[in-house]
Amino acid sequence: MNIPSLIVQYWPRLLAGLALTVEITIISLILAGILGLVFGLLSVSKRKGLRGIALVYVDIVRGTPLLVQAFFIYFGIPQVLGIQSDPVVSGIITLSLNAGGYLAEIFRGGIESISRGQMEAARSLGLPYGMAMRSVILPQAVRTMTPALINQCIITLKDTSLLSVIGVTELTQTGRLIIANNYQSFEVWAIVAAMYFIIIMILSKISKRIERKMSYGKSKN
Amino acid sequence: MGKVKIKNLKKNFGDLEVLKDINLEVKEQEVICIIGASGSGKSTLLRCINALEDASSGTIEVDGNDITRADGNINKYRQDIGMVFQQFNLFPHMTVLKNISFAPVALKLKTKAEAEEAALKLLRRVDLEEKANVYPEQLSGGQQQRVAIARALAMNPDVMLFDEPTSALDPEMVGEVLSVMKQLAKDGMTMIVVTHEMGFAREVADRVIFIDEGFIVEEGPPSEVFGNPKNQRTINFLNMVL
Repeated sequence: MNIPSLIVQYWPRLLAGLALTVEITIISLILAGILGLVFGLLSVSKRKGLRGIALVYVDIVRGTPLLVQAFFIYFGIPQVLGIQSDPVVSGIITLSLNAGGYLAEIFRGGIESISRGQMEAARSLGLPYGMAMRSVILPQAVRTMTPALINQCIITLKDTSLLSVIGVTELTQTGRLIIANNYQSFEVWAIVAAMYFIIIMILSKISKRIERKMSYGKSKN
Repeated sequence: MGKVKIKNLKKNFGDLEVLKDINLEVKEQEVICIIGASGSGKSTLLRCINALEDASSGTIEVDGNDITRADGNINKYRQDIGMVFQQFNLFPHMTVLKNISFAPVALKLKTKAEAEEAALKLLRRVDLEEKANVYPEQLSGGQQQRVAIARALAMNPDVMLFDEPTSALDPEMVGEVLSVMKQLAKDGMTMIVVTHEMGFAREVADRVIFIDEGFIVEEGPPSEVFGNPKNQRTINFLNMVL
């Protein structure tokens, strides 16, 4: 069977796979964003203990392969706790923790890129640390972080494919299941690759537009 | 009555003693200029007064509140101490108006409308009313520093600290900033100014303080410090800069 007719035949399954991929990506990135912000803030804290906590988390995430993290969370932890684990839930937890670690580093870098004088100016007006961070530092940091943030979104989207090994029927797993039926490895993987590619290209285009819009005050006066 | 009272202030950075024993009292409406070579500790002294640097020992009272033991009150105390920085440090993601009105609104001291009205008044005072809705990057250095002064004044401070406010400016912009500061002094603001502008110190200061190696080496009215310096180190310094 040629590629167009394969697409037609398997479209509902491919689309369901893609939908799950996107869904897992979005949920994981939201959770990772919260983790990244919290641990990023810890890592710029004045207190050594808090910085230590962030450092340990980031080191664990960066020092172990994502695949091992997924196995550990899907097989390892449920065995100790004696619970039944759900592949999608385990997958989301894995990706959230993983991307959260990288985002924490991105947040730390973004915050540290803002000159110390900004925090000092805010504090000298009497603003508490949290308010200064939220209203003065973070809005500027997020702007400089935007390319790295978008890069992490794309990486996380591609990392969902690794969840196929714990049985999540996202796009890659869907491809594997289809090939198990029809043995048309070349055609099916080409279709799957193209679907990832298109989604990521759309994301990149949107992000370019956001980046362009984000330079200060260019549109006014 | 002293507005600012500094007693036995010491500040170390690790093994480095930057301030060795500073005693200084600043009266209400007094304008103090602190002069000295780079690395003499003059900026550190200024930054200790609003606890941007923590004093190693000694006390600093502003309006009777001890800044060095402020604990939870430091944000409250800082509202009354305005600070102007060498690098302006305006918030680049806010318009000029927002830069000035932001803190009073965020701290719930004023409504947005009140704060903006006050901000416009302050902008008129520093002669930048027409720049209310532009972003800092569209302003010259001199204009940015005038906005920074307005931003500090928006908190209605009792004391204004200036940390080399004209050192980062192109020469042709120094005058506009100094004239705003002169007007402020004339209006009765209590000011502590770290500066290299000896002309300004001579003309505006009630008292000039010369700091060297972490000590106040000489202090007095500008006519005396500049006209008849007693200490050899003051004489050497003035010979270099004048």
